[in-house]
Amino acid sequence: MSATTHPADPRLKLLGVRPSLWNYLTDVWRRRDFAKEIASGEVRGQNMDTVLGNVWHILNPLLMAGVYMLIFGVILDIARADNFPAFIVVGVFVFHFSQKTIMSGARSITANEGLIRSIRFPRAVLPLSTVLGHTFAFVPSVVIMLIIAVSTGERINVWWLLLVPIFLVQLLFNVGATFIVARLTDLFRDLTNVLPFVFRLLFYMSGVLYSVDRFVDAGLMREAFNYNPFFVYVSLMRGPVLAEFEPLDPQLAIIGVVWALVLLVAGFLFFRAGEERYGRG
Amino acid sequence: MGEDTTTPTAEVGGARPTGGEPTLIAENCEVTYRVYADKRPTFRELLVRRFKPREYTAIRAVRGISFTAYAGEAIGVIGPNGSGKSTLMGAIAGLLPVTGGRVWARSEPALLGVGAALQPALSGRRNIILGGLALGLTRKEIDERLPEIIEFCDLGPAIDLPLKTYSSGMRARLHFALASSIVPDVLIIDEALAVGDKDFRKRSQKRISKLRKKAGTVFLVSHSMKAITDTCTRVLWLEDGQLRADGPAEDIVKAYGDAGS
Repeated sequence: MSATTHPADPRLKLLGVRPSLWNYLTDVWRRRDFAKEIASGEVRGQNMDTVLGNVWHILNPLLMAGVYMLIFGVILDIARADNFPAFIVVGVFVFHFSQKTIMSGARSITANEGLIRSIRFPRAVLPLSTVLGHTFAFVPSVVIMLIIAVSTGERINVWWLLLVPIFLVQLLFNVGATFIVARLTDLFRDLTNVLPFVFRLLFYMSGVLYSVDRFVDAGLMREAFNYNPFFVYVSLMRGPVLAEFEPLDPQLAIIGVVWALVLLVAGFLFFRAGEERYGRG
Repeated sequence: MGEDTTTPTAEVGGARPTGGEPTLIAENCEVTYRVYADKRPTFRELLVRRFKPREYTAIRAVRGISFTAYAGEAIGVIGPNGSGKSTLMGAIAGLLPVTGGRVWARSEPALLGVGAALQPALSGRRNIILGGLALGLTRKEIDERLPEIIEFCDLGPAIDLPLKTYSSGMRARLHFALASSIVPDVLIIDEALAVGDKDFRKRSQKRISKLRKKAGTVFLVSHSMKAITDTCTRVLWLEDGQLRADGPAEDIVKAYGDAGS
């Protein structure tokens, strides 16, 4: 490492060199208390002025699921699933988890410009904090989701253990996607106006409200659904919980893992490539 | 690149041992950045101009500055507006990329200027916690130091008000208290002392001398010649992005005053 220390005094280190991947990651790990502080601030801050506060993190997707149940299950009566309430709740909650995380992550750089301009720290801490905060906010929702499943007739079984790895794979996907949108939003602020429509489209394309197998005929169109990561994670989570489905679809599981790993690596590299430019407008 | 004049690098600087060990070496340091003539174009403007790239001027804010800072020194940085003082400090603190030359330091210098607000919507207290953690302190360390930092700020109940309600003097107190609490090898203070009141200046001078005794180096950017002579042992005089003079504080401040700037 002689190239990065001064020839006359080895205690002097060259500044401004991009740290190696390992050093960058250890630097991120060293700021974990910082990440926790930002994450808790973000999660708390979202509902700070409301009477119910953090309860909204659960109430919000719950009410949304209620609206869909009323419209599609009661009014339109196209509920072609054995346990429609559980079907909707799992779908809405799982989709909501990724959507919330990624959409908040889009602002993780732009919302912390003051910090970025005053203090040098590995910028990856910021999108990671957003993911961390929303992940912890999601855990109580999972409990509510499972309570609803059981109270509508599903039985607790050993396959529920699969929910943990599925959840972790979706989490890795969220991290990768958040890295990508965080940098893109820093480059083009317009993205915050586009993202809601992207997610709205994805929502309808991911079989959150309807069973894809009952509405889409087998063929190329049906096959295309299997490569939509949101459809994949929603379906994988439904597997163990709803008796109607196979506990685990191996094809979807592989696609889900590949999506997560590819996005995690590509997202991190893409985000890091902009490290020196963040906060400089 | 736009403007590009050949300028000889100032050789006034260089080593000037004062007994201590070097804590920071700047070698032919250059910072050039682009200033665009207009804002980022909208899509319509891009269409109208047929995607021609935006026009910009390359500003050579710092053009080849070399110096060595030693442990125990307090170095004042003076010069007219736009002479590159803040840019140079940003560069040696690692907040701005150095486009030429190199900077070596014992450890990463700590810089907190008065310009940037950390998190305007959060209280002063939360900003200290967040800033301390961003600087690399652990939760335990910042919790231990928090009472002392708050006491040093001496902001009274305002410490629990949002940062956006602070005056520049109050913000300067908070930034100085925070940056000096981590005892860095190199501390850079940009204009912070000039906006503080008399009492705060006194206390911060005490803290600066304490830091110097612990073998640290302090850089102080200021337009207040009194603050410079009260605090500093050595002065760098910048002019037009170059080092015009480097020497004992009194001599340089006097020469600066005589030059009528």
